[in-house]
Amino acid sequence: MKLEMLNIVKSFGANDVLKDVNFSLEGGEVCALLGENGAGKSTLMNILGGVVLADSGRIIIDGQERHFNKPLDSLDAGIGFIHQDLNLIDDLAVYENMFINHELKKRNGLLDISTMCDRCEEIFERMDVKIDPKTMVRELDASYKQIVEIARALMMEAQIIIMDEPTTSLTEPEIERVFAMMENLKEQGVGMVFISHKLKEVVHICDRYTVLRDGDMVAEGMVKDVTVNDLAKFMVGHEVRTESLQRERSLGEEVLRGENMSFQRCFKDVSFSLRAGEVLGFTGLLGDGRSELFRTVFGCNTEYRGGIYLDGKKMRIKSPKHALELGIGYLPRNRKENGIIKDMNILENGTVVIWPRLVRRFLINRNLQREKFQANVDGLRIKLENDTDRIGSLSGGNQQKVVLAKWLSADPKVLILDNPTQGVDVGAKEDIYDIILDLADAGMAVVVLSSEAQEIIRVCDRALVMYHGEIRGEVSGDVMTEENIMRLATGGQVKQIGEAEHGSN
Amino acid sequence: MEVIKEKGMQFGGWFKYNWINNLLFSTAIILLVMLILQTQALGFHYDSFGDWFAAWSRNLTNVLRNNAGIGIIALGMTFVIISGGIDLAVGSTLVAVGAAIMVLMDTGPGGLLGQMGITGFPAYALAVILGMGTGLVLGELTGFLITKGKIPPFIATLGTMQLFRSVTQHFMQGYNPAVPKGFLPLASFKFGNLMLMPIIYWLIIAVVMYIVATRTVFGRQVYAIGSNERTARLSGINVIRVKRRVYALMGFLVSIAAIIQVARIGSMDYANAGAGYELDAIAAVIVGGTSFAGGKGSMIGTVLGVMIIAVMNNLLNLWGVPPFLREAFKGAIVIAAVLMQRKEKEL
Repeated sequence: MKLEMLNIVKSFGANDVLKDVNFSLEGGEVCALLGENGAGKSTLMNILGGVVLADSGRIIIDGQERHFNKPLDSLDAGIGFIHQDLNLIDDLAVYENMFINHELKKRNGLLDISTMCDRCEEIFERMDVKIDPKTMVRELDASYKQIVEIARALMMEAQIIIMDEPTTSLTEPEIERVFAMMENLKEQGVGMVFISHKLKEVVHICDRYTVLRDGDMVAEGMVKDVTVNDLAKFMVGHEVRTESLQRERSLGEEVLRGENMSFQRCFKDVSFSLRAGEVLGFTGLLGDGRSELFRTVFGCNTEYRGGIYLDGKKMRIKSPKHALELGIGYLPRNRKENGIIKDMNILENGTVVIWPRLVRRFLINRNLQREKFQANVDGLRIKLENDTDRIGSLSGGNQQKVVLAKWLSADPKVLILDNPTQGVDVGAKEDIYDIILDLADAGMAVVVLSSEAQEIIRVCDRALVMYHGEIRGEVSGDVMTEENIMRLATGGQVKQIGEAEHGSN
Repeated sequence: MEVIKEKGMQFGGWFKYNWINNLLFSTAIILLVMLILQTQALGFHYDSFGDWFAAWSRNLTNVLRNNAGIGIIALGMTFVIISGGIDLAVGSTLVAVGAAIMVLMDTGPGGLLGQMGITGFPAYALAVILGMGTGLVLGELTGFLITKGKIPPFIATLGTMQLFRSVTQHFMQGYNPAVPKGFLPLASFKFGNLMLMPIIYWLIIAVVMYIVATRTVFGRQVYAIGSNERTARLSGINVIRVKRRVYALMGFLVSIAAIIQVARIGSMDYANAGAGYELDAIAAVIVGGTSFAGGKGSMIGTVLGVMIIAVMNNLLNLWGVPPFLREAFKGAIVIAAVLMQRKEKEL
């Protein structure tokens, strides 16, 4: 089976996500689809999976043009799409998940459980794995869930399987298991698309690669001809604006220190130190544990091991409220779920953390509330008509500034910003960078968590790069380049200045 | 259908805009229509305007007084629902608190305060305070089960609903306390020939609850939690404490309703008193425009909601609709209210 996607174009509003992209896949090969967040990989695969419609372009399978209007069309054409967040129902057995929506029935209308189990076992045998079809999916570990999804796709007679970051939530032995199965499928002539940020895995399992950047296809070829570093460079490109905005400033005393912090599988043995007036970056790939680490610092998780020191004093932070009282602010990722209260107005959203401080004679003093908020509206250049409007009436950038205003109103010593420019337009993005640097100038200690290397380079004094819950390395000054960050984040080494192009790895 | 607010709008346009966008406005209009229908159903066949007005106001105060208890409970239920929860145990809590004050004040040999030699006004005051305390403790227990025990509010209060009533019934069987006469004016004091006390309590509590809901940290935190609990927690709100207080406040308000009921009737039927109050209160809250999903709602809406259901019941009575069918209308208006709220949301 041969797949070709020709001249695919797709835009969402004014945002061109795919500009004339070609992609091809042969049966029996694994092709890596690479690119940074927002490069267009998911959109391209969603078009192939029938999840979104392309604006123009053709999909050709074995020389025949096909049109996918819905996921089922794509499945009928033999394409199985395994989404990053698995689509299995935990409370049903394996065979029930495999046959969901295609259940086999006996003549009397009842479910034909034994035939379904037999069919499952046939597939598992073909894949060379052992799973009892009657096990509950909840009891399987993450790699077996992945395998069950793949098995389901095979049962639907998929000849092409798209895997969207299949290894992010897996441990090393689990990854090995999935890879072994992929090798097996390859021999049987199944074609696979492997979307991943982990370049080492790509080199290990893939035959070919295609790299997208900002909606353009920038490179393709055989994996055996390139190194991990080449791939990282293709993904990052060179023309992007990455000059640091750092300003000269003197750093104060140490404010926050983490010592050997560990929590389950989320982060291991992490130590860091942050001084007043410093902007410290934490970066890495999705699921590297940085968010969990700083949610812990903010008191959301009290079961960690290791120590948190504030102004040199060891602290056990019991709750977000406690963290707030100690002078820690935390702007969470995913504004809609964690940042804003949609039923409340702008003013209330911008002051929620200091309500108790605004009380005069048992009631929240409106004038005081306005006064506090207005100071931030001016300082952060928030554009709003009326502070009693719904928070939802603002643009993403202004909403984010209101969430930032909320934390600034509490006047924290340490401010943790998790993905501060998520869902924010370019102009507001630059505003937020300016604000971060102004805050540091004023002596605040700032932590920026981001998976965008450019962002880290632009605002941070130095950055710690995490990989699988551990700190893989620190970059600052001239070594803080996108290439180096990408290398560390994918489990590689930093390239020192002056080192030969293909020196390491 | 979209209606834009603009200056210099005609009355029709203004009305339409508010009808669609302002839930309180449409609720108030519905109440107004019902009051007009009720006036009409009462008829005008009186000798003088004075006679007519006396009959009309007596009818209306009767309706409101009979629903003051539900009205007070519904105010607490508004907070519970805004916080994203539910309390099914209000009727049973009412019985438990009612039993407690009656045992305390009993003029017979079993009366606890009487045994200690406390009678008259001090006894009433003490009974009222201890009754409120009982309500608070029972509410606090519910809150504890929900927050610390992490039991969904529906299940937790389904449990306490059975528990409170059954325990009360067990201990009160064969025991018939007599409420002292001096206690009764608390609810049945007459202004002229109108018994207004329960209505006055209801309205005072409504005003206080309105201020609590709109102007205090606690009140705003309840809205924040109901709208987005994760954000609320990450904003340093002690979600557990606020939720516990919501249920404690609910218990406290139920105890006030219980005190009024005891003072009004002078006795209590432990098997049936307060039965169905939870559903009546929830219905009133929903008709008043509070979102069952939490985060949205108002005390004024709830007052209007209680009045709408009460006046409608009276209206159906005046029209001679058979009692069993009246419940169907109550059900219909709850469904209609939710459909109206959805219309608002989609806009």
